[in-house]
Amino acid sequence: MSQWLDDQPVAVVSAELAFAALALARRFADGATLWCWSPGAPEHAQHVAVEFVHPVIVGTRALPAVAVADGDATATLRTMARAGDALVVVSSGDAAVSGLLKRTEAWGMTTIWMGCGPRPEASSADHLLWLSDDPQARHDGRLVLGYHLLWELTHVCFEHPGLLREPSATEGPTCTTCSDEGRMGEVVTSQGDDATVRTACGIETVTTLLVGPVAPGDLVLLHAGTAITVVDG
Amino acid sequence: MTDFLYPFIDGEERDAGALLEDLARSAEAKAAASDDLRRTTLDGLAGQLDAAATEMSARFVAGGRLFAFGNGGSSTDAAAVASLFGHPPSGRPLPARSLAADPAVLTALANDVGYELVFSRQLASSAGATDIALGLSTSGSSVNLLRAFEQAKRIGALTIGLAGYGGGSMAQAGTVDHCLVVSSDSVHRIQEAQSAVTFELWRRVQRCLVEGALDVD
Repeated sequence: MSQWLDDQPVAVVSAELAFAALALARRFADGATLWCWSPGAPEHAQHVAVEFVHPVIVGTRALPAVAVADGDATATLRTMARAGDALVVVSSGDAAVSGLLKRTEAWGMTTIWMGCGPRPEASSADHLLWLSDDPQARHDGRLVLGYHLLWELTHVCFEHPGLLREPSATEGPTCTTCSDEGRMGEVVTSQGDDATVRTACGIETVTTLLVGPVAPGDLVLLHAGTAITVVDG
Repeated sequence: MTDFLYPFIDGEERDAGALLEDLARSAEAKAAASDDLRRTTLDGLAGQLDAAATEMSARFVAGGRLFAFGNGGSSTDAAAVASLFGHPPSGRPLPARSLAADPAVLTALANDVGYELVFSRQLASSAGATDIALGLSTSGSSVNLLRAFEQAKRIGALTIGLAGYGGGSMAQAGTVDHCLVVSSDSVHRIQEAQSAVTFELWRRVQRCLVEGALDVD
C-alpha cells in the first residue's frame, strides 16, 4: 500500500501530474520562464527552480526557472512575468495563494499549485496537484517527490516534439483565449469611464461604466470591451 | 522533412493520449519506488537514527545549535531541516540554521577562499563543542562537505552526514560520527529518502527531549 498517496487514488494524482507536465513542456517550448513560489517555505521554490536550471541528469536540457522570494510575490511577478510564462506554487492551502492565482490569469500565466494538507478548490489553479491530505507530507519526502516527478515528466515530453504545439494554439488574427467570455483583467490606469487593463492578450482599453471607479491593481472581469465586475483579488 | 535523420523523434506526432498515459504510469512507478526506498531506508537506519537523535538531544540540552548545509537541491533540503528544527509544526523550537542562507557570506567565501571552504569557514567562526553539524549530499563526496566535517570534528561538534549511493567519501572520512546512507543511485529518490530521514531525526529528537532519556547520562 502506497504511503505516498495514502488518502486518495494514486492514479488520479498521476494523471493530473501528466497533464501539468505536458502543459508546462508546451509553455517551455514557446519560450516561457517558470516562476516558483512557496510562501513560508522558500526552500521548496528554490528546489524546484534548481531542478530545471541545473538538471541532475547529464544531457538534459537546462530550462529557465526562477524562485520568487518569499515577500511580495505579486509585485515581483507583476513586473517580471510575461504572458505565456508559467507559475508553480508549492504550498498548503492559503488565501494569499488563491489571491495571486486569480491575478496571474490577467497576466496570461499558466499555473500549477502543488501541495498537501487541506485541499483548496480545484478551480484555484490551471493544474491543482494535491499530493496528500496529510500535512506531514510537506516534511517527510512526499512533497519533494511531487516536484521531482513534475520535472521528470516534463522532460519526457521533450522527447515528443510533435506534441509540444498547443492543439488549440492561437492562429490568425483572433486570440482564442480572448474569445472566451469573462476574461480577467488587471487595471493599469483609469481615466473617467475608461480604464487601461492588462489581460492575457496584452494591454486593452475598456469601459468601466458598469462597475464605477476602479484603481490600479484592481481585478476586473471583462466582456466585450466592458468591465462587468470587480473581483476580490 | 528531416525525419529520416531522427527516426526516433516523431515531429508529426499529434495524439497526446498515449503520452499522457505513459507519463501517468511512469509517475506511479516512480512514486512506488520512492515509497519503498523511504520505508526500507527508515527500517534499515532505525538503530543509527536512535543513536544520532540521542546525541543530538544531548547537544541541544547543553545549549548546542544545529548547522545544516548542502549544495544545490541538498542546500534546500538543509534549509528545510533548519526550518523543521527551528520552527516545528509541533513540539519545542530548537536553534538551527542553514549555512547556505546568506548569499553575501556564501559568495564572499567562495570568491576569496574557494568554494570548498564555504561551510567550514562558517563553522570555524560560529560553531563550538556543543553544536551539531549536519550535511546532506547525494554523492557523499562533495568536497566542501568533507572540509566542513573535518572542521566540525576539530572543534568537537557532533557530525551527522546524509549520503546516497554507497556513502561516498563521507562514509570513509572518519570525520562523520553518524553517516546515514540511502542505498540508491537516483539523485531524486535519494533526496526524497533523505527528507524522510531528517524528518525521523527531528521526531526522535523531540521525543528524546520530552521523555528526558538524556538525564541518564
